[in-house]
Amino acid sequence: MRRTSPPAFACWFLYSVVPVPYREALLGDLIEEYTLRAESASPLTASRWFWSQACRSVPSVVWSSLRSGDWLISMSIALGVYIAMGMLKFAADLTISKFLAPEQATYVVLAPVVFLTTSAIGGCVASRIRCGATIFLALIVMITVAVLIDLKICTIPVPWWYQFGFLTLGPLSVLMAPAIVGAFVAGDAQPAK
Amino acid sequence: MTCRVYLFYIAKQMKSGELLGSLEHIILLALAGLDGGAHGMIVRREIEERTGRNISIGAVYATLERLEAKGYVSSFTGEPTPERGGRAKRLFRVEAAGTRALQVSEKTIRSMMAGSKSRWESI
Repeated sequence: MRRTSPPAFACWFLYSVVPVPYREALLGDLIEEYTLRAESASPLTASRWFWSQACRSVPSVVWSSLRSGDWLISMSIALGVYIAMGMLKFAADLTISKFLAPEQATYVVLAPVVFLTTSAIGGCVASRIRCGATIFLALIVMITVAVLIDLKICTIPVPWWYQFGFLTLGPLSVLMAPAIVGAFVAGDAQPAK
Repeated sequence: MTCRVYLFYIAKQMKSGELLGSLEHIILLALAGLDGGAHGMIVRREIEERTGRNISIGAVYATLERLEAKGYVSSFTGEPTPERGGRAKRLFRVEAAGTRALQVSEKTIRSMMAGSKSRWESI
């Protein structure tokens, strides 16, 4: 049986990142073209084309949205979500360090889990409010982690890849979580049969 | 001398926003060649077929949005179709200001070509 639905993850990635004015038309166009390509060539070729278009389209539309001034609203939402995320993380960190795992070693293991979970929740909330806000939230998370690494806030000796993991996986979880959640929750990006 | 006067005339005729970028020019030409109204993917396909440039759909929509802000094209929403996953098309059509901008651009390019064609052809 030939697969004629576009890659769900790519659809949800676009849905999470592409600003509202472009989202419906752009996704619709890509799905329409994907179906044609999957029928004329192979679904694999069509999927590759879909991913290439998705990745190359994001910078153009995001830049255009920034130039039009939509960024200010998205930035404000991202900042609001970031503050909420910070409070949630602080509460979780406090609970872990005081009650669940007072030892440093356990905290080192649990800290990334808390960080990635709060980042993912923040990403989902920001995407729910306004899709363009997720990019800003990812940027804010990345900048904060970079600043914290530079200031050597963490007094526990950890390997370099531990901090690098925070720097890369934090923003990635902000961006990817809404896409993953969306892909699991509903499949409305797939063309109707 | 005549060429210079003519160029000065064109420059005077153009408003500041009427200068077209290369992608704007190509997209506006593609849209002008498609009757009625066309959505982003049709424009992208037309450009790929005619120029061999594989541009992204995002770049097409970003440029169309810019052209719409300048008043060169207008857009309207079509009916949602099952082939598009139930999503509506956003159709674009060239407005009179867009046609005028194309004419001005074409005249400018022709004038510049006439002035320098002999030089770059000999290289």
